[in-house]
Order: sequence, then C-alpha cells, then structure tokens
Amino acid sequence: MTKIDTIRRREQNTAWIMLLPALLLLLLVFAYPIARAFWLSLFTQNLGTKLQPEFSGLNNYVRMAGDGRFWQSFLTTSIFTTTSVVLELLLGMGIAIVLNQRFLGRSLVRTSAILPWALPTALIGLAWAWIFNDQFGVANDLLLRLGLIKTGINWLGEPNLARIAVIFADVWKTTPFISILLLAGLQSISPDLYEAHSIDGATSWQSFRQITLPLLMPQILIASLFRFAQAFGVFDLIAVMTNGGPGGATEVVSLYIYSTVMRYLDFGYGAALVVVTFLLLVVMVAIASFLLSKSRTTKGMA
Amino acid sequence: MKLKSIRLIKKYFWQLGIALAILASITIYAIAPALTQQPVVLNLLMTAPDAQPWQQGIVKDFETKYPGIRINVIEGPNATNLLEDLYTSAFILGDSPYDLVNMDVIWTPKFAAAGWLKDLSNEFSAEELAVFSPNDIEGSRYEGKLYRVPIRSDAGVLYYRQDLLTTAGYQPPETFDELLQISQALQRKNKDTWGYLWQGRQYEGLVAMFVEVLEGYGGFWVNPTTKDVGLDQPETIQAIEFLRNTVKTGVSPPGVTTYQEEETRRIFQSGKAIFLRSWPYVWPLANEESSPIKGKIGIKPMVSAPGKSAGTCLGGWGLGIAKSSPHQKEAMTAIRYFTSNEAQRNFILKAGYVPSRRELFNDAEIVAKYSYYPQLLNIVGSSVLRPAIAQYAQASDILQRYLSAALTNSLTPEQAMKAAAKETRLLLGKK
Repeated sequence: MTKIDTIRRREQNTAWIMLLPALLLLLLVFAYPIARAFWLSLFTQNLGTKLQPEFSGLNNYVRMAGDGRFWQSFLTTSIFTTTSVVLELLLGMGIAIVLNQRFLGRSLVRTSAILPWALPTALIGLAWAWIFNDQFGVANDLLLRLGLIKTGINWLGEPNLARIAVIFADVWKTTPFISILLLAGLQSISPDLYEAHSIDGATSWQSFRQITLPLLMPQILIASLFRFAQAFGVFDLIAVMTNGGPGGATEVVSLYIYSTVMRYLDFGYGAALVVVTFLLLVVMVAIASFLLSKSRTTKGMA
Repeated sequence: MKLKSIRLIKKYFWQLGIALAILASITIYAIAPALTQQPVVLNLLMTAPDAQPWQQGIVKDFETKYPGIRINVIEGPNATNLLEDLYTSAFILGDSPYDLVNMDVIWTPKFAAAGWLKDLSNEFSAEELAVFSPNDIEGSRYEGKLYRVPIRSDAGVLYYRQDLLTTAGYQPPETFDELLQISQALQRKNKDTWGYLWQGRQYEGLVAMFVEVLEGYGGFWVNPTTKDVGLDQPETIQAIEFLRNTVKTGVSPPGVTTYQEEETRRIFQSGKAIFLRSWPYVWPLANEESSPIKGKIGIKPMVSAPGKSAGTCLGGWGLGIAKSSPHQKEAMTAIRYFTSNEAQRNFILKAGYVPSRRELFNDAEIVAKYSYYPQLLNIVGSSVLRPAIAQYAQASDILQRYLSAALTNSLTPEQAMKAAAKETRLLLGKK
C-alpha cells in the first residue's frame, strides 16, 4: 500500500512540475493584470494628484456608487448584450438549419454567410453609420421609396432609435458566427436518430425539440457564453457608429472606461471601473451557468 | 613571416572592415550634419482645415526669416476633440513627437497638470503679455503659471437681425427678458421665423453656451481656486429655466436641444431667425454674396439679467512647448514669431482668424477688410472662462449630461443640477 502511495505521490509531483511552466504563464498573463487593476483601484491617480498615485482606500468605489453615468452605461451594456445575443441565437439557429439542408449551391451560400463576421468591425460600423445616416442613408431611402415614412428618420440622433441601430448592426455582424458553430453541431447529429423518430410518428417540430435542441445544447451554451462575453466588452462597433451618443444613450461600459482613462486620465478610478465590471460579469456568468446546469439536471431526473 | 602576416590580415579582415564601417557611419551621421548645418525640425500637430493656411501663410514667412528652423505641420483630424485625444495619447506614451503644442483654451489645465508642458512664466515679461486680451492670458495659466501664448481668440457672440429690429423700432436687447420680448414681438410680424437660436445638443458647445447664461444670472459653475461648485445654486436653476422658456414660449425651435453650431447657423443664414448665439466664424459666412441676410446683421455681447454683468464664453487657441521636446530654444523662437504683431497681422489678413493681440482689432488695414473686429474686441473683453481645473473634461461631461437631461425634460432642473453638483464635488474631492 505504502509503495503505491509513494509512486502516486511521485507521479503527482512530476505532474506539478510539468504543469508549472503553463501555470506560471497563466499567472503572468491573467492573474497579474487582474491583481494589478485591483491594486491600482485603491489609489487616486488622476490630474487632481498630478498623475501621482495617492492611496485612498475604497474611495473610488464610494465614488462609483454615486456615479450615475457608470450605472447608466452598465444598464445600456446589459440591454445591448442580452438583446443582441438572444436575437443572434434565434436567427443563427434558423440559418444553421437552412444551411444544413441539401440544396444547389450550398457551399457557396455557406461561404458567403460567414462574410459579415470575417470583415473588420470598424469598417462594418462605418458602413452601418452611413446606412443609418438621416440625410443620405440607405435605410431612410428604402423606407421613403416604400412609402412607409414621409420624412427621413434621424436614426443615430434619437436615443432609442440609436440603441436599436447598434443592436441591428451587431446582430448582422455576429449571427454568422453563431450559425457556423451551430451548423458544426448539427452535422454531428446522426440522421439515423431523425429517421427512427419519424418512424415512431414524430412531427418535424417534435424532432427539433426532442433531438436537435438537447443534442445541440453544448454548442448553444458555448456560442452564447462566447457572444455574451464579447458583446459585453463591445467597443469598436459603437465607437465608430455613435461614439456613445446621442447624449450617452449608447455609451457602453468599455467606452466609459476608455474615456475615464484616456480622456480624463483618471487611472485609479478607471481601474476601479474595470474591477467592478469584471466582478459583475463573473457574477452574471456564474448565475447563468448555475441556472443552466440546474435546468439540465432536473430535466435529466425527469 | 610573409605568410604569417597575410594570415593575420585575413584573420582580422572582418574586424577591420567593421571598425572602418562604424567610423564612416559616425562621420556621416554625427559630424557631417554639424558641418552642413541641418535645420532643426519642429513638429506641430493641428486640425486639417487649419494646417493649410498655416503652411501657406505664417509658417512660410517664419522659415524665410529663420532658415535654421523648419516647421513640420502635421495634419490631424478635423474634430478638435479627436486632436486632443491624439495629443494625449502621444504624451501618455512618453516622448512626444510634437515640439509645439497647439492648444484649445480648455485643454491647457489638463496638459499643464499632467506635466507635459514647459512653464513659460519666466520667458515673457508682464509688458509682453499685456498686449494680449487679459482673459486670453488668464486662460493660458494654470495654478498661476503660464503654459501657452494665445495666437487666436474666439468668443461667444450674439448675432441679431439689424434690419428687423430697426424697422420695428427696437434697440438690441440687454437683458434676457428683452431678448424674449423682442423675439416674440418680431415673430408675430414675421411668420415662419424663430426668435432665438442656441446650441443645445449634448457636447462641449452646450457648456460654452451655458456658462454665458449662467454668468448673466450671476451664477458660477466651479471656482477654480476654492473648487467650490455652484451648480445647485438658485442662479443655475434660473439660467436653465430661461433656456427651457425659450422653447416653451416658441421663441426657439423644439429641435434646438439637438443643434450644434452649424445647424443654428444654417437656419439663421436662411433668414429664418432673429437672434443667434454663436462664434465669430458666422460673420463672414452670413455676409457672403449669396447670403440672404448679407449686410443685415449686427453683433453684441451676450445679454444678462438686470444689474448683472454679461459674459461671453472665451474660446481660442494658443501655442505651448512640449516638455520633452529637445528643441526648447527653437520652439521658443517660433512661438515668439507666431505671436508677434507682424506675423499675426499678415496671417489675419490672409486667413481671417480673430487676433489674440488687442492692437490688431483696431488696425486700419485689418478693419478695412474685417469691419466688425473693433466690436469683437469689445466682446472678447467681456468674456468669461470655463473653469481652469485639471479635471475640466470630466466636469464638463457631467454638466453636459445633466444639463441635456434638464433641457429635454427627462429630469427637473433642480434634480438634474443637484445630481450634477454632487458628482462634480466627488470628482474634485469636495465633500
């Protein structure tokens, strides 16, 4: 017994030694910046202190609690993220199912469907800003020609319309990403299952709910987690399209942090903003995955 | 013996070659320029529309006068806030590629507080500075030290339709109430005409416009010395109520809360408004040949409440020197030249900028070309500064946000200004 124990311990030690370089690398590139942000957030380092760090404890966090702009931008980011991820999942699923069917020119359509995602976001943002321009934009031109509106709509100049416009552009840009991920998942589902199910007399809606959805769950989860984290940190698209305007209606957290650090040179407060956003994001992801795993286990039990 | 020496040469051939190459490059790169007198190059970043007149006018004159110094004018973005960001990131990264810094009046405290600018206090005597408008010089100081020399003034101007006022028998207004009354009276006579146009969109121009109304009611925003915040004072609420009233009474169009300078100028220039608050750049455009209001407008300082002093917001540009620049002496020479009477005079005659030297407003040749400059001197003289605090950009964003909320009725003026004052106090470390 003891001999096996020593062998096991030795193996464990070897494993740790082998893992050490990777762990060190992870510490360096992940833990260090996060810890550094925490540390910096305890200091006041801004133009008021001539850019010298002065220890101020939790002062930055107290300031943040009363900072209407931060909470506004956090709300904007949450709405943007939730709406666009849900829309992208629904649309992406639809496109994936269509692309999974056999039809003439399928590979051509598949390739062109990924195009929006492959283009640089800043360019897409610029293109959509032109499309939504109130004077010479395509969106207004189409609506005018169809007779749906009488005068041009100021898409990017009205708070709610601007929010809709940026979500629209984001959905257009990243739906292909989700549909490609889901398509890969669909292709791994064996056609035999559908065949057997239909012999049992199931409708196609039933096989979608009972075969496709459960078997596609891992891909859906991964896609939504990816997209959630990505959409929460959205910067380039909104920076180019509205730069947070009009009147801060589309200002997301990353834009606010950028302003705080780069324009106001308020480094300590900027770090505190990063820390709080990071923690809130971790909490949100934790709640989401907890709920998901709970729903899965209850389903498994039933 | 012979064989040995050949072998030696062979052995050291490469080393010898390298040594010779190094020696040669030292001669080329270090000694040769000193002998041929390479000119010193000063880098200067400015907005693209400004770069053209600078290169063709004032920079050309300077380079003929000082052949040892070249000015490399770098064209930046058109928007001044992007230019500020470009300067900022260059300075944050350490050695700035720019030697001369072309600064808007509101950047000066930020750049100075960050320690990016050379202190010019000892370079200029009080007499030398006395030729400039005192407000321009005040706006160039931060905590008592001078960081830039004004080269171009700018101040808020109240434009009015001289023709309409005269035919109706009105004098230009002096108070806020008169402005509203005259507007309403003239609007009744002239259908499809707005009374008063101002910039109400959420951006820096909103704040510039607001400090004028605030000054007219005797209020204040931030006291730069004591860091007191006056946004929740009754004067501030009165100022906001005045602006809200212009829309409520139909004197200003409802869309005024989304306008910037150009939107208001287009309406005014098409003859569809009686009063306009804007900057001096409107005058030459409104007096173009094709303009319907050519020769029909007058200018005056902003109005005020009875018994209070009127204030027009001071803008304008000035030149400073980057602390990290290796060519401090040459940069100083350039600034002295650019702000001199002779250089500015030629430049203004060519490019039509508003001068920073007071004597030029009444210069015969300049007045012959720009007849409104003597009045402009009067306006620049009554200007108010936006607070010269290091965190100006942040304080301005807070005010813009809450002021816009109050003007678009999403918050009451009291609620909005209470929140704005609280956030500003937190920002400035005032409990």
